[in-house]
This record gives sequence, structure tokens and C-alpha cells, in this order.
Amino acid sequence: MKKKILIVEDEKPLCLLYEEELSREGYDVTAVMDADAALAVLREKEFDLIVTDIRMPGKNGIELITEIMGLRKDIPIIINSAYQSYKEDFMTWAADAYVVKSSSLDELKERIKSLLGE
Amino acid sequence: MIDTYNILSPGFERDAPRELMLLSIISRSFFQPFSLEDNLLVVLTALTSGSGVGFNRAMLFLKSDDRLKGEMWLGPRSAEEAGFIWEVLSTPGIGYVEIVEHNRALVNKYEDTLSARLKGLVYPADDEHAPIPAYAACRKEILHVRGASNEPLVDRRFLNIIGVEEFLCIPLLARDDIVGEIVLDNAITRTPISPSDIKLAGICGLMAGNYIYSTTLHRKLLNMEKMAAMGEMAMFVTHQLRNPIVAIGGFTEQLLKPDLPEEKRDRNLTIIRDEIRRLEDIIYQMGHFLKVSLKEPVYFDPGPAIGAVLGSPQAQTRAKSYALNVKLDPCLPEILCDPTSFGEVLRNLLDNAFDATPPGGTISVRGYRKNPTSFVLSVRDTGRGLTNPSKAQLFQPFFTTKDKGMGLGLPFIKRVMDTCGGKIEVLSRVGRGAIFKLIFISRERESTP
Repeated sequence: MKKKILIVEDEKPLCLLYEEELSREGYDVTAVMDADAALAVLREKEFDLIVTDIRMPGKNGIELITEIMGLRKDIPIIINSAYQSYKEDFMTWAADAYVVKSSSLDELKERIKSLLGE
Repeated sequence: MIDTYNILSPGFERDAPRELMLLSIISRSFFQPFSLEDNLLVVLTALTSGSGVGFNRAMLFLKSDDRLKGEMWLGPRSAEEAGFIWEVLSTPGIGYVEIVEHNRALVNKYEDTLSARLKGLVYPADDEHAPIPAYAACRKEILHVRGASNEPLVDRRFLNIIGVEEFLCIPLLARDDIVGEIVLDNAITRTPISPSDIKLAGICGLMAGNYIYSTTLHRKLLNMEKMAAMGEMAMFVTHQLRNPIVAIGGFTEQLLKPDLPEEKRDRNLTIIRDEIRRLEDIIYQMGHFLKVSLKEPVYFDPGPAIGAVLGSPQAQTRAKSYALNVKLDPCLPEILCDPTSFGEVLRNLLDNAFDATPPGGTISVRGYRKNPTSFVLSVRDTGRGLTNPSKAQLFQPFFTTKDKGMGLGLPFIKRVMDTCGGKIEVLSRVGRGAIFKLIFISRERESTP
């Protein structure tokens, strides 16, 4: 059965890119553009992994992670941000991995595989 | 009964005690919008002009990097020149602007002589065995020197420059630190320095010391704010540039794969083109915000500029989906602003109003006199409105409530309004729209004969 991944990314082109590239890798991908939409789908559907941006309009990625922890503690979370500097913010340490956005998705794909035990 | 007095213009009688007048001039000068150097010139003037303590000449040393450096020297070179200068400075009604302008000219005129020679003098600022004049600052004591050429503690180079036997050294103290020193003498009149002159000059020194200290601290604080803003900007730019670059790179990678369907090729190329345009826009806006150096504000008729912005194709195209109401006072007054920046300001406000309001909403532009010296230009929208936390952050660079905004429009408006002495008022409630009022200093147009 396909592993289910939730992408939270407010940039439309990136949302589309991640959705297509990870689907191509054989995952069942759901992509949403803000934290509230992510929390809504999380209440309705089970996911094996979440990839989230940090800076987004409305709730940011860190607030999202805190709320997800209250809902489901066991889902691995990858932070995928344009900012290197958030790595130093201990609030991001709750995530299982931190990947700085890059035009090559290799690192992101590798982290996903390793967190899913593939 | 309650009486009120203006704290910055006490309105002393002409025969008020000179000590009181002097302290009043110095303390009020610190509230004038002059630079540190200009305000110190006022202090030196007060110490040397006829209405002040009445020293003939004053020289200023400032501490910088543990050294005491000669900075400026104020005073006439001859008795004739002294008479002329003191006459100018004792003219009734002479203001700070005149004093500063007069003295700036004086310091510049003698740049090659008095001040230039003084600038060559540098002493350690924390050595108790430093020669006079630095001795006074290092030991935090006032020194009254007489018979200077017989005094081994006096630096010979300094003595050659100053050329008098009697002088006074006033250290400028702030808290536990030394910020500089003032040296005073009566080279022209040769009048002996009296004990009361010494006491009064000492008080002036304390005031000047605290003024230098607080101004230096304020400058440091502004620099720190600037550095923090630069850090914030670097972080913001990283994000703004990285997202389109990631999209361009990612969709290009897809294009290189032979199995990509034809329709996705076109879509990818469209995304890549759009993201490149976005990059160009980001670079343009950053460059514009960083480079725009504001010009000096002047009085001008804002009517043509308002007409040009509202009538521009860009505004007209956007206005098609809205009700745009414009109401301006007939015969507008002249407002104080840089005319080019004024147009940019209005364009920014209009863009924000359009962005915040769903199509079908109303944008109102009003221009009216608040009072004989203030003109208000307001832009009101019926958009989503602002929350209180948003209002507090509105004017910080890179703060934005828009999905795609850079957060540079309102900081630019604030810079323009600060430069021309204007004010901005924001009124808004969530869901009830927002009104931005720009209040300019204005004057009625001179009637043409």
C-alpha cells in the first residue's frame, strides 16, 4: 500500500512540484497551502509523514507542529524551509528532520525514505 | 488658578541674571534638531559670546577610542573681529539657526588656522600623568592654569598653539566616564578668569558632557537598530529569492526528463517564466527600497501629482473592479514634501487599498485642510481591516499582511513622512476596512498679483 504524505507549502508552484515529484516516487501525496487546511485533513485522514514549510500566512510551521503533537505524536515531521537559521530555533527541534529548500529534491526524498524506514 | 509656561521658551527679561540666561541657552539648544557638532557649537558660543560667561575663546576636545582629540576652536583672532562677532551674537532675537549658521561659517573660515591646528592635538584619555590640557580630563578635575610657560605639566605644543598664559580646562563628564574637555581663555581682552566664571563654566561642562553622552548612546542605538534591520532583511531576501529559485530548478529538472508529457512541458515553461518575472520584481523592489534617497522637502501644489497617480493606466485598470471616490478641497494648499516621493506614497497607499479590498468594494481618496497649517490626504478602503498586532507592526520593514507582499511599502511611506515632518494615522477594525491619513505641513498658496 502506498505511504501517505502530507505537504504543507504556501507557495503554489512548490506545492505542485512536491506533489508531482513525491507522487512519482510512489507516495500518496496530499498537498495543502496553510496550517489550518493541514489540521483539517489530519483530522479526517491518516498520514505516514508530514513535510511542512515554516513561514506561511496565518499559523506558521512551528505552531502547526505544536498542534500536530497534540493530535498525533507518532507522525514523523520534516521541516522544509527556505531559512537555514530556523535550525537554531529549538522550537524546530521537535521535528524529525530539517531540510533547507533546494532546487534538487534529492535530500528531501532521502530523508523521507529514511524516516519511513525504506 | 493654573498658569502654564512653555518649557522651551521661558521668555527671560533682558536684565535676567547672565548665569540663568547662559544655562537656559545651553539646555534649550539640546532640543534643537541640530547635529551633535552644531549643538556643541552653540555651547561654545554661549561660553564665548557677550551674553554668556564671556570667555574670549573656547576649544573642544572629544574622547574617541581612549584618546582625547582636538575637535573645534571657536573665537575671534583679533580684537576687531571679536567686536564684530559679539555684536552679531548679541543682536536681540537672534535664534539658534543664526548662531549655528554663523559659527559654522566661522569654523570653516578658520579651518586652515585655529581648528586645523587644534585637530593635530591628540592625548591619551585615561593616563593620570597626561600633560595639560588632557591632565584635567584624565583626573576629572577643573584646572585653572596661570603662568603656563613656567608650568612643566603644560604640553609645549599646546602652549604654542594657544599662546596665552592663563586658561581654564573643564572636563566633560558623563556618569563615570570622560567624554571630552573644553579649554577656555581670554586671549583678546586679557581679563583674568574669576572664581564665579570657573563655577559657571563647570556647570556648563556637566551639561555638555551629559548631552554628548546621551547623543553618542543614541547614535549607537540607531546603528544597532540598523544592523538588526539588515539581518532581518538578509533573512527575508533569502526566503523571497529561494522559493522561486527552487521552483525554477525543480520544474527545469522535470523538463529534462524524456518521459514528461507534452502538456506538462508547456505548463513547466509557464511556471518558470512566471517565477523569473517574480524574481525580477523582487530585485526591483529591493533595489528601489534600498537606493531611494529622499530629497529635501519643498512646498508644492499636490493637486497635479494626485491627478497623475489617480489617472495613471495602472490605477485606472485596477479601479475598474471598484467604486473609486475622490474628493479634494477646491484650491489645495501647498504641502511640504518631496514631490516625487509624494506620488510614490499615494501610489503605494492606493495599491494597498486595492489589495486589501475584494472586488466590488469602495476606495475613497480625500484631500482636505485639517487646520491652516495641516493638510490631510486620506485613503480609505472597505477591505478586511487590520488586527491590533498588525497595526503595531505595519511600519516595520518586511512585515506584510499580503500573501505576496514584500512589506516595504509602508516603511517607505513612513520614511517619506518622517523626512517632511508629517504624520501618519491609521484607523481600522477587522472586517470594516482601513483608513490611512497622511498629515502634511501645509501653507496657503501665495496669491498671484
